[in-house]
Amino acid sequence: MTDNPFRAGLVTERAPSPCVFVIFGASGDLTRRKLIPALYNLAVSRLLPAGMSIVGFALTDISEEQFRSSMRDAVAEFSRRKPIDDVVWADFASRLHYLSGKFEDPANFVRLREKLEQLDRTNGTRGNRIYYLAIPPSVFRPVNDNLAAAGMVAEELGNYARVIIEKPFGHDLASAEALNADLHRVLSERQIFRIDHYLGKETVQNLVALRFGTTIFEPLWNRNHIDHVQITVAEDIGVEGRGKFYEEAGASRDIVQNHLLQLLMVTAMEPPVAFTADEVRDEKVKVLRALRPIAGDDVKTLTVRGQYGPGNFAGKAVLGYRQEPNVSPTSSVETFVAMRLEIDNWRFAGVPIYIRAGKRLAKRTTELSVHFKRVPHALLNRDQLVARSGAVGDAGSDVEPDVLAIRIQPDEGIGLRFAAKVPGPTMTLRPVTMDFRYGSTFGGSGPEAYERLLLDAMLGDPTLFARADEVTAAWRFMSPILEAWEKGPPPSFPNYPAGTWGPKAAFDLIEREGRVWRRL
Amino acid sequence: METVVRLSLDAVEPELARLWKDEADRGGAPRVELFTVVALASELALLGRAQRVLGAVACTYPSRTIVATCVPAADAAITAEASLHRLASGGAACGDAIVLQATGPARDWLPENIDRLALPDLPVCVWWVGDLPDFDSLFDRLVVNADVIVVNSGEMDLRDLEKLSTIVMRCHGGAALSDLMWIRLRPIQDLVARFFDDETSLRCLRSIERITIEFAPRENEQDVASTQAGLLLGWMANALSLGGETVSWKRGTGWGEATLGRVVARFEARARDDVPPGTILRIALECDGARFEVVRQEDPAVFLWSREAPGAPVPPQTLRIGIPEETTLLIRSLERPKRDPLLEKSLHTATRIVRPIAPRLSTRAGG
Repeated sequence: MTDNPFRAGLVTERAPSPCVFVIFGASGDLTRRKLIPALYNLAVSRLLPAGMSIVGFALTDISEEQFRSSMRDAVAEFSRRKPIDDVVWADFASRLHYLSGKFEDPANFVRLREKLEQLDRTNGTRGNRIYYLAIPPSVFRPVNDNLAAAGMVAEELGNYARVIIEKPFGHDLASAEALNADLHRVLSERQIFRIDHYLGKETVQNLVALRFGTTIFEPLWNRNHIDHVQITVAEDIGVEGRGKFYEEAGASRDIVQNHLLQLLMVTAMEPPVAFTADEVRDEKVKVLRALRPIAGDDVKTLTVRGQYGPGNFAGKAVLGYRQEPNVSPTSSVETFVAMRLEIDNWRFAGVPIYIRAGKRLAKRTTELSVHFKRVPHALLNRDQLVARSGAVGDAGSDVEPDVLAIRIQPDEGIGLRFAAKVPGPTMTLRPVTMDFRYGSTFGGSGPEAYERLLLDAMLGDPTLFARADEVTAAWRFMSPILEAWEKGPPPSFPNYPAGTWGPKAAFDLIEREGRVWRRL
Repeated sequence: METVVRLSLDAVEPELARLWKDEADRGGAPRVELFTVVALASELALLGRAQRVLGAVACTYPSRTIVATCVPAADAAITAEASLHRLASGGAACGDAIVLQATGPARDWLPENIDRLALPDLPVCVWWVGDLPDFDSLFDRLVVNADVIVVNSGEMDLRDLEKLSTIVMRCHGGAALSDLMWIRLRPIQDLVARFFDDETSLRCLRSIERITIEFAPRENEQDVASTQAGLLLGWMANALSLGGETVSWKRGTGWGEATLGRVVARFEARARDDVPPGTILRIALECDGARFEVVRQEDPAVFLWSREAPGAPVPPQTLRIGIPEETTLLIRSLERPKRDPLLEKSLHTATRIVRPIAPRLSTRAGG
């Protein structure tokens, strides 16, 4: 970064320094679907620095021209900006390079280093590097070791070298700690960018704006006013050809340990003293540390897991999980998880947080809802709303409680439900909703999560990336649950038909406490 | 928009309420409005343009739009038309569309009536469509209650930069001035800024000796620079800390050179009919051994960015910067409806630089 006086006051006050962006696993799906389209979109938005180069590295033996051609197809298919702008593409393609080789072979890294040094000389990238590990965790170690051995992660001459890694960040607490230790052998923590694309979503960032950029909600954001919180991450699709991966991960590792806990952290964290990477992440990790552990018999009562069986979706018959390709016909992997959590801290003590995540549910939707307490005294509307809502509340509070709902996807926005008087001679109240929709308010589509996050990585801003202690704290919470499930009797799967909202036990989890899942 | 009927002013709100009720009855969109956007079509010929632009703006920012126009007549009256903006013909409603027509002396009644029709507790944006007159009490009165004043310096003369600078000063930090032409300049400013994003080229800044700004002149251009070129130089002069330098000018046919301390800034006119008049065609900054240049290509939306600085090699970059229409520019000006200190500072500096070669504003009779 420089003190460029021409940047003062511009919309883009910060611009990344030119760098070489190296993608390990450049022939893979992530590169095609997300990384190259995101980088191309940044180029269209004129946010890539001059001189920036992209080097793909993978086992597949193809020429640079074949790589460019394949990436053009990927952009045509997956970029949000269509059709391809030939002028921008021509410039972008001239920055794309490719090397093939095995990740385990140190000689390949010497070749890679020579290539990068050559680009430094012609493109002014000055030793600045971003290495994106779009590869299975099993090859993180050889790649990092070879990068270090080739002297490619040193930051001694004013340059930077950053490594972006994709989840899963381990399989359990022990493996996550081992992975962190492994990374820290060759990299400092500030060089490591653990990507969780949920944090790059505009709506998740807007949750921060809602909490800390307005004064309306923050005074209410505590146990005195909040009855409970619900977080739902629902997908309507199945495993979509990722059966092999899903057999190892399940919903807990695929969604709950990362995306869902990230949403929880942003919802429950204390105001940071500044919106800087470490201040924000310090507050987030405190939420995880305050999560009441679930272990032993509590696992049975506070968690639910499920697996979808055959069913129908959108009027068509769909397979059950066990019938999906690359899935064991006797698989006991969960495709659905629900939990009742509690945060043992001053702000949230006693406020239940119900979370659920799953595949092949009735709808694709991610939503976080804050359910406020009922009014303390039944002054109005005593009969009508109890009958309508079916809710079982205090005898003295029959007006439906207010709900603040933050929709992460699709149809991003915020809705506030509150009671209003129905016009007429009687004092009858009815819930009404004030709705804010990103699409209709701001028009157009904002940048995709990967665009924002890749740009942040180039700028060296890790605020929206997970820190090592966040990852281990998340696993510290999840591991006892996973262990209890593994040690317990095999679950009776499948236990919910595809296209529904999950197993009955998930409804029981919340309804036994007099609450219901919000209709989504 | 749908069929409209001419109304008295006090019938506007009931008519809009009726239209929204009809919308709700047929399961249409909820009534959401984010701004009151007022367009003053100073001539009847501008009415259609204002309505078209505001209709498109309401599709992005659901708003109440008020287009006001004046017709010479002996009788004083204001009548209105009220309808709903729609996302597409027959599509969801996305705002209130009010057209006011003031006849004769009723022109003077517009400000208080527009104020009465403004939505409560929402920002009011006043857009003066077309060239801003030197002195117009209607404009002065309208902006009193505005949060954002939108103008287009691209439709003005170089001397009008001073007028805009004066508006900024008169607002005393209240209303924000937004210039559609300034919004067009933003991506070009970004291209200039990226010359100096690294330490090596940043060091060249101190020794910049020459700035060249090439622009497409208007037909029969009298000014030495377009307002856009003038504003751009104002911005660059601030960044180079040349704001306080005394200015001396030389000029010839199609060119003018301002000496600002150590830097010579040259404007060059080059006719080009595929871009709007005033458009920037080339910017070059030079110092001993280094050259930084942005050139608009044959495709007017494409730029070639290049930098030749010792010790900082970088290949040229081709980038696309579309030429946004007025609608897009107005939408962008509403993205951040607040003061833009960079515009204000650049206007003041540009005004000071071009004052010796731009004819001064006439003074108000007796003023």
